[in-house]
Amino acid sequence: MSDMQIVNGLTGLLIITSLLVVVTRKPSHSAAFYALQSLVLVAVFVSLASAIGSVQLYSWAAVAFVTKVVLVPAIMIRSFGNLADEKLGGGARISPALTVVLAACVVLLCSLIVSAVTLPAAQAVKPALAISLAHFFFGLTCIVTQRNILKQVFGYCLMENGSHLTLALLAGNAPELVEIGITTDAVFAVVIMVVMARQINRKLATLDADQLTNLKG
Amino acid sequence: MTPSDLLPFLLLGPLVAGLLIFVMPVDERSAWRVEVLHVLSIFFVLIVGLVVIASVLSGSTIFASSNWLMVDPLAAVFVGLIAVVGCLTGLYSIGYIRHDIAAAELTLQQLKVYYGFFNLFLFTMLLVVTSNNIFMMWAGIEATTLGSAFLVGIYGKSTSLEAAWKYLIICSVGVAFGLYGTILTFANAEAGAVDPHQAVLWTSIVAHAAVLDPMLVKIAFVFVLIGFGTKAGIFPMHAWLPDAHSEAPSPVSALLSGVLLKCGLFVIIRYAMVTGGTVGPEFAQSLFLLLGILSVGVAAFLFFTQRDLKRKLAYSSVENVGLILLGLGFGGPLGVGAALLHIINHSLAKALLFCGSGNILMKYGTRDLAGIKGVLRAAPLTGVLMMAGAMALAGFPPFNVFVSEFMTINAGLGAGQYWLVGLCVLLLTVVAAGFVQIIAGSILGKKADAMPVRDVGWQALTPMAVFALLIMVMGIMIPRPVTDLLTSATHLVQQPEASTIVADQAPPSIVFQK
Repeated sequence: MSDMQIVNGLTGLLIITSLLVVVTRKPSHSAAFYALQSLVLVAVFVSLASAIGSVQLYSWAAVAFVTKVVLVPAIMIRSFGNLADEKLGGGARISPALTVVLAACVVLLCSLIVSAVTLPAAQAVKPALAISLAHFFFGLTCIVTQRNILKQVFGYCLMENGSHLTLALLAGNAPELVEIGITTDAVFAVVIMVVMARQINRKLATLDADQLTNLKG
Repeated sequence: MTPSDLLPFLLLGPLVAGLLIFVMPVDERSAWRVEVLHVLSIFFVLIVGLVVIASVLSGSTIFASSNWLMVDPLAAVFVGLIAVVGCLTGLYSIGYIRHDIAAAELTLQQLKVYYGFFNLFLFTMLLVVTSNNIFMMWAGIEATTLGSAFLVGIYGKSTSLEAAWKYLIICSVGVAFGLYGTILTFANAEAGAVDPHQAVLWTSIVAHAAVLDPMLVKIAFVFVLIGFGTKAGIFPMHAWLPDAHSEAPSPVSALLSGVLLKCGLFVIIRYAMVTGGTVGPEFAQSLFLLLGILSVGVAAFLFFTQRDLKRKLAYSSVENVGLILLGLGFGGPLGVGAALLHIINHSLAKALLFCGSGNILMKYGTRDLAGIKGVLRAAPLTGVLMMAGAMALAGFPPFNVFVSEFMTINAGLGAGQYWLVGLCVLLLTVVAAGFVQIIAGSILGKKADAMPVRDVGWQALTPMAVFALLIMVMGIMIPRPVTDLLTSATHLVQQPEASTIVADQAPPSIVFQK
């Protein structure tokens, strides 16, 4: 099996782990699945680095391991553990079955879009590229379909993983500083979202986005 | 010290000040130290910013930090906006925040948070407009959200936290689209045989625009327009804007509306220049026209129906962003020039009105227009200054907004877009009616008997007076350096390959000839 086949195969796992992040009821469990997904993403980076001989991608994989597999999930598990909203329940607007169907539709649609891309760098990794785009839009879907604001943070994280994978696939030789900068920026974003979610939970005793509707018009 | 050496300091000044403010111990007796550091920082940005602009006007585009930083005439317009509006709103903050501390709306710790994030916010906006590296430009935009979210939610009330959360989520999602557009653009440039280290530079991408893949350029531009358009408050991605603008402290609302929205537009203009070089200007222009007229149309009616003063002003910002898009969409030297001039004019007028809304909050304790009567009698200077700002934004001569709106309409007629111009003019009458509503219903009229006749302090009134003066000057006779800068920036937007030419080689002014 070639490195590129491994890359394409591993990206399939990303969608499965995304589904686990979204359909799991407890945010701390979602954080664990997010760590698992990020580990798959790191494996994709390493396979890709080996396939195209990119030193930059190896260093990006190392940074992604520290930030996405360890740091961000640790922050989430530690912060989300003591946040609760019993009235909210799971907080999903749609059922897990419908979420899976929706994910399949997004993947199909993205495959159609990517099939039209003629960029030379994309030819060998079109399935992975389709998954990366689907991952991005699946993250957006998660934000829209989840009432729990903590789950919305995961939606944002999924979007980021999708866009980071696209960057690795299309431009694996991007300067290290760019790749590392993007990954580090994601950590800041998550930390600030977590701080804000904690403030909301402390002040309003809710994690339900539907309760944040005082401002209208 | 050369301008290239100075440029990094322009960014470092507010960054260092912000970080120092965070670590400074503060109590009732030492709060003044935070204010002094803040004032030093905003004047540093003003002075260094003006020196940088003067260098651009008198010489060539400034590059620094391995070409990752750049100030060309287009960037100089925005550096000027951040420097001037940032300094004046920063000064206004002194009186406003002191009032909030006295009224127990904020604590001394929150004062530190306010000034710390205010300076970080200035740093992030400066990072956006001086970036030549497209990823740094994106990171700058993302950082503006992260830096200002705490400012939006600083009062810690349920409504301000709600606004801050919506702002954080909507803008982060939007900017994620911007990242996708950035990645596609970089990948496209790298595939176009540009060295990866050069492909991150906007100047390299725009110089190679002709060899980029046209389809990918179009897809990337759509992502960019959605992503950074969210930050710019373009309809339908504007949902965060009325909440954040109305819940933030008034000087922050002025910065958000006057400068932050323009930073989003700045990035969009940069990408439109690349798109124009690959597929011609029509693609971006048609999207600008569509989103522009939709923004003006939807915002005009929502503006008219609001009863909350700051929400009203927020919708007016969406409407003005729409007008700027229309100018860019009409294209040509007149359309682009009108858009750039309107960016400046709207910033000044809207900052004045948001500061005025702060005065009203200090005086009346409410934003509800039904409870605000007779400002001119209760606080005469505030009333006069607010009336000037409202008349300016309504588009009445001799104020500045009239000039740029008139130019936009002329550009539309010149481009043969008669129906669009006609519709736009009709919508602008709705906007004018909304401002007349504010003037007649709240600024004029009889004040409540219990309301004492006493204006807010000079710390709040002085920056507003300077804004009003600038509005008049820009309406009656635009200063020569500003016209020169706008002419060079307009030329650059139309001919991006000239991005590295020296400013004095630009052709004679077409748009801003006296």
